[in-house]
Amino acid sequence: METEQRIFDPRAGLWLLIAANLIAFRPHAFWLELALIGLLLVLILGHGRLTMAAKWAVGYCALVAFQQFILPMSPMIIATSFTIFATYTRRMFPCLMTGALMLTCTPLRYLIVALRQLHIPQKLIVAISVTLRYFPAIREEIGYIRDAMKLRNIRGLDRLECTVMPLMVSATETAEELSAAAVTRGIENPARKTSAVSLRISPLDFLGMLAGLALLVISFVVQ
Amino acid sequence: MSEPIKRRGMSGKDVITVGIFSAIYFVINFAFMLLGGLHPLLWILMPGFIALFTGIPYLMMCAKVQKVGSVLLMGLITGLIYYVTGQFTVVILVSFVLACGLAELTRGLTHYRSMAGNLVSFVLFSVGMVGSPLPIWLMREDFLRQITEQGMPADYVNTLEALSSNVMLVVLFLAPVVGAIIGGFIARAMFRKHFEKAGLV
Repeated sequence: METEQRIFDPRAGLWLLIAANLIAFRPHAFWLELALIGLLLVLILGHGRLTMAAKWAVGYCALVAFQQFILPMSPMIIATSFTIFATYTRRMFPCLMTGALMLTCTPLRYLIVALRQLHIPQKLIVAISVTLRYFPAIREEIGYIRDAMKLRNIRGLDRLECTVMPLMVSATETAEELSAAAVTRGIENPARKTSAVSLRISPLDFLGMLAGLALLVISFVVQ
Repeated sequence: MSEPIKRRGMSGKDVITVGIFSAIYFVINFAFMLLGGLHPLLWILMPGFIALFTGIPYLMMCAKVQKVGSVLLMGLITGLIYYVTGQFTVVILVSFVLACGLAELTRGLTHYRSMAGNLVSFVLFSVGMVGSPLPIWLMREDFLRQITEQGMPADYVNTLEALSSNVMLVVLFLAPVVGAIIGGFIARAMFRKHFEKAGLV
């Protein structure tokens, strides 16, 4: 059951996202930010993503260094372009980390089970999962359309129209086919769905949730 | 599909259709969001650009799913994906839900079929994207304080102050309205030219 343990609990992820968001929009001290980043790094490491943790740590240091040392010295045009961006990214950094952790360590079906447990309406869950699954299909589709346009030598503004139209047509067709398949499999059955995977929160994720709560409380208490 | 069914929830098929068009909407949206990282001005105009280019998937979705809740669902999906990937904030989730609620209401009042009603709802829906650059204003003190601490030249501070001034806030809200109107008309021309002939709408 090695792989089972490595799954980042989606509920922990959703909670940490809320916490990170709330902390980001409160005036907070540098050490609190560091603590939050540290906590997330520990979580990423706990899920066995060594290189990922290293990348985020380096990224954070680079961002802080960029903001503190390079921006003040750089020419006006660069500085105006990036100050807002850098400040914003630094604030959102914990959220980005949590998001990245969820993307790599939480498979879609676990997220769906978690959303179901949280009593999110079934319709919303279905729509979200269809959306997420359709992204790779869009890329594939655009690749085909591009090839076809090369063959017919379509250039300039025409390209835009000639990309959008087939994309819309194929999206419509996919919607029809997919819903026929889904209805056959009982998507409209009002009964409660069962699931092959069961969610059990790991001690690490649970501690992570508690630590997130603690940091949130601290950010409200300590000004 | 052809006869309007009112006061009935969405079927599985409707939900899937909304999901697929949301994916297309999101991809366009995301592309412009990446562009917005280049310069704050681009970021502020971003909702406008997005509105200009997303008219077709949005109106297509409207034409396909003429039921209560479709727009709300589309907005919720986009907001949630942004939220879960950590790219955006609670602010965007709130602005999106508000805008979608209004858009949904407009569609409801115009009985889902009318093109004009859908256009108005698209304008409202597009305004929801302002939640993305809005934190610039919420964090305004923070970065102004920071650059003053670092002893930046005065003209630099002025540039940033101008970028985050109240005038720009108006621009932020106007850009999606203008973009959505133009985008909506482009979409309508496309509908006439292609989809109606092909019998898709």
